[in-house]
Amino acid sequence: MFKKILISIIVFYFLVLIQTSFLVHFTIFNAVPNLVLISVIIWNFLEKRRNYFGVINGLIGGFFLDIFSGRLIGFYVLILAGLAIFIKLIFKRYVRIQ
Amino acid sequence: MVVAAVLVVSLMNFFQKEVRSLFYFFSAPIQKVLFRAGDSTSDFLQGVAQVKTLKQELDEFKLENQELLGQVVALESLNKENKSLRQALDLGLQEDFKLSLAQIIGKDISQDFILIDKGAQDNILKDMPVITQQRVLVGKISEVYDNFSKVMLISYEESSFDAKIGDISGVVKGQGNFRILFDLIPREENIYEGDIVVTSVLGGIFPEGLLVGRIKKIKRSDVEPFQQAEIEPFFDISQTNNLFIILEF
Repeated sequence: MFKKILISIIVFYFLVLIQTSFLVHFTIFNAVPNLVLISVIIWNFLEKRRNYFGVINGLIGGFFLDIFSGRLIGFYVLILAGLAIFIKLIFKRYVRIQ
Repeated sequence: MVVAAVLVVSLMNFFQKEVRSLFYFFSAPIQKVLFRAGDSTSDFLQGVAQVKTLKQELDEFKLENQELLGQVVALESLNKENKSLRQALDLGLQEDFKLSLAQIIGKDISQDFILIDKGAQDNILKDMPVITQQRVLVGKISEVYDNFSKVMLISYEESSFDAKIGDISGVVKGQGNFRILFDLIPREENIYEGDIVVTSVLGGIFPEGLLVGRIKKIKRSDVEPFQQAEIEPFFDISQTNNLFIILEF
């Protein structure tokens, strides 16, 4: 578990750096793709229903987004963790995969 | 575990500046490399994608260049006249600004802020204006860390300052996402698309005569006492690496 969290921290850190410094040059209608948000969504979609690592990923990704934005620390943490929990709930209640 | 994480995060808000400063300190070298890499890659890709239109643009620029050369000649003679008049009146020429060079290392994720590599250690203070080499206004310093500063772009939603087109004054307001609006222009004044908006000294925030943008679309309504105009900003952070902070003006 600790190893997984460490890898997640490193990956999200680099994703945020790429997003804030590299992707700024490749805007689509002045919008920069939010790599962290996309990764958290994809992870939670693909993860097994019983696992909750997607929520931890949301917390870590949200934390890095907060550090590199002008908002209060905790804003993106709440959004991404909430989103991860929401996806998990929807899958648990309404989606049945054979 | 989630509760513990929330507690830690809320505690961090008390030491926001220190936490951010620490992360920026470690990330700055990587961000600088990534920013330059992004710049050169996007330049290359743009070049490949726009070969067709580039030739057409080149022809247009050649024509524009000839016109501008004519204007330069006229301005040079005016400059000479101005100098001699100043000497006659015994006025000192206005000193240039005291500037400090800075590099962009990143852009804020959701808002119109950028991060530059100069901070309190380089005598940067809050509210100092930030411009490009071509005297184009970019924004002002909004937050100062030890080695870094956050620049609030003029397109940020809460940004507003006085500006003018010739003698017509108004207020430039940020609209977010690199869009700016020229507002509170009296209705009886005639402005045209393509007019150039420059800063005015009225508000005291920015020095006079910094370039802001070009009028793109005018919104005039019979009901409103003022007219508005959309501005196409001159600054483009994806094409700029170096910025100048005006230390004194």
